[in-house]
Amino acid sequence: MISTITLDCVLPRVFAGMEYSDPVKSSQVWLRTLQFQRTGSYLVEAESGTGKSSLCSFIYGSRGDFSGRILFDGVDTASFSTSRWCELRCNALAYLPQDMQLFPELTVMENIAIKNRLTNHRSLKWIITVLEEMEIADKANSLAACLSIGQQQRAAIARALCQPFDYLLIDEPVSHLDERNNKIVAGIIGRVAEEQGASVIATSVGNKINLNFNTVLKL
Amino acid sequence: MIKNIVWQLLRRNISVGQLAGYAVANLVGLAIVLTAVQFYRDVTSARDSEDSFISRDYLIISKKVNSGLGSLFGRQEADGFSESDISELEQQSWVRRIGRFTAGDFNVSVSVDIGGSNIGTALFLESIPSDFFDISPREWCFVPESQDPVPVIISKDYLTLYNFGFAASRGLPQISEDMMKMIPLRLSLSGNGGQQWLNARIVGFSSRLNTIAVPEQFMDWANKKFGENGSLNPSRLIIETSEPGNPEIQSFFAAHGYEPAGDKANSNKMTYFLNVTTAVVITVGVIISLLAVFILLLSIWLLLQKNRTKLIRLMTLGYSSRAVARYYIIIVSVINICVLSGAIAVMLVGRHMWSTPLQQIGITAGSSYVTILLGICLMIIITGCNFIAIYLNINRIFPRPGKKI
Repeated sequence: MISTITLDCVLPRVFAGMEYSDPVKSSQVWLRTLQFQRTGSYLVEAESGTGKSSLCSFIYGSRGDFSGRILFDGVDTASFSTSRWCELRCNALAYLPQDMQLFPELTVMENIAIKNRLTNHRSLKWIITVLEEMEIADKANSLAACLSIGQQQRAAIARALCQPFDYLLIDEPVSHLDERNNKIVAGIIGRVAEEQGASVIATSVGNKINLNFNTVLKL
Repeated sequence: MIKNIVWQLLRRNISVGQLAGYAVANLVGLAIVLTAVQFYRDVTSARDSEDSFISRDYLIISKKVNSGLGSLFGRQEADGFSESDISELEQQSWVRRIGRFTAGDFNVSVSVDIGGSNIGTALFLESIPSDFFDISPREWCFVPESQDPVPVIISKDYLTLYNFGFAASRGLPQISEDMMKMIPLRLSLSGNGGQQWLNARIVGFSSRLNTIAVPEQFMDWANKKFGENGSLNPSRLIIETSEPGNPEIQSFFAAHGYEPAGDKANSNKMTYFLNVTTAVVITVGVIISLLAVFILLLSIWLLLQKNRTKLIRLMTLGYSSRAVARYYIIIVSVINICVLSGAIAVMLVGRHMWSTPLQQIGITAGSSYVTILLGICLMIIITGCNFIAIYLNINRIFPRPGKKI
């Protein structure tokens, strides 16, 4: 279990040499020391191109092109082995990438099952209920490639929730959803996070998810 | 839940053509290697049985007799093989061991009764270590002062000479080997101021040694008792060679003025030719197999490249590189097991085809377990290399800090 995630002077490599100019200078994240507590919920607001997807990737461990350190409970993630990352991705860190990363050649159900068979966390009934709540149950057997972006976003959210987690990283989860669907999705995410006692770290470029955030950070 | 979605996902880009190409190429390569090894083993399985055309070979060498007048007048020019000659020979790679001919340093004559007429002749005797004989008669020992006859082995050629040369022209009866063994001989040894009569008996006929041989114990005893000159250098050597037909042997002999007895050149060349052919065939097979492995590695690499995005997505979801690699490892294992079975089958069919002709020339094919075991070992090595390549390739694209994706 991870209780705190600490960012210590983290700066994406692309911003190297721009320490004293915007957007780095005015950022509340880059080059600062800050902690994400497991009990809190965080919204990282940013303009395009300021590196919010990079931030999610850095925390999720899928990219390492940054300076500074990211610590999980005080341990530098740079020291983690491949198998440690696999373990964390199965039971501590849940991630919804901005590009969803669904497999277009698989159906919605298969896309979800491919995660769930790894964690064995959810029952088929739970998955169907969530899909129904998000109003895409009728698309369960459609290929992901045939879905609209908004539908893909919801399928990807359902997939991301098919695992136990301490932190849920959601990168622009509702960028293609209307207000009503935003509320539905926010309701599900808030409920699941609360069940697990987990933290949500969401990013947004404007259309933010309808959750009660403790902290809003400007990237 | 739907089973094995990962497999469903990853198999889409598998190119059946590429994998079939690998399988065929590796099958050909491995089949050539195994068949060549098995053929070589079958043909050389008779190596240990004597008198086979391919058996390990013995060469008897002597120094060339000088044609100068000196030898006519009894001057000893070539004084046999010195210790340094022998040690130089021993250092040659084709020499397995060397036996020395010990010549008798005394006068010997033999008398025998054949068909009522008494034949007597002067004689010479030699001895060599007994393990160089192609025959090992039971009576092959000598105890000084015992009444047992001295065992003698003579060359088969001598009997042939007598039967078809001497006996035929003189009207004497022909003698079989068994009869010859029953004839009692009387040996007269003299020298060093002494003389002694001894009973002797022929106990065997050698086709390898062109001499009249007695046991070493007898020679030691007789040389001590009747010898006049002390020990002499051996005038002939018998060499057991591990590489009969190696051209080095001939050139070494020519350079040192040694003369091999008899003409074994043909069978020796035969063996050498077989060795060279087998080596060439095995090399070709190994090269084909290596190329096939290369094709497979390339094919897997291409497959991994095509599936790169999927693999990264899977590993981003939390799949370990091992879990992902497993599917490719299963594919490779199945193909390799088929290839191995096919190659062994080809080898066995080939063996079945050549076993009859080989039997006709008196060679019983050896067992094929060693070859099958070799095939399994080779396949384990090939599969191991494949696994490592797959694992390294997948591990390289695993999304983690410090890796570019």
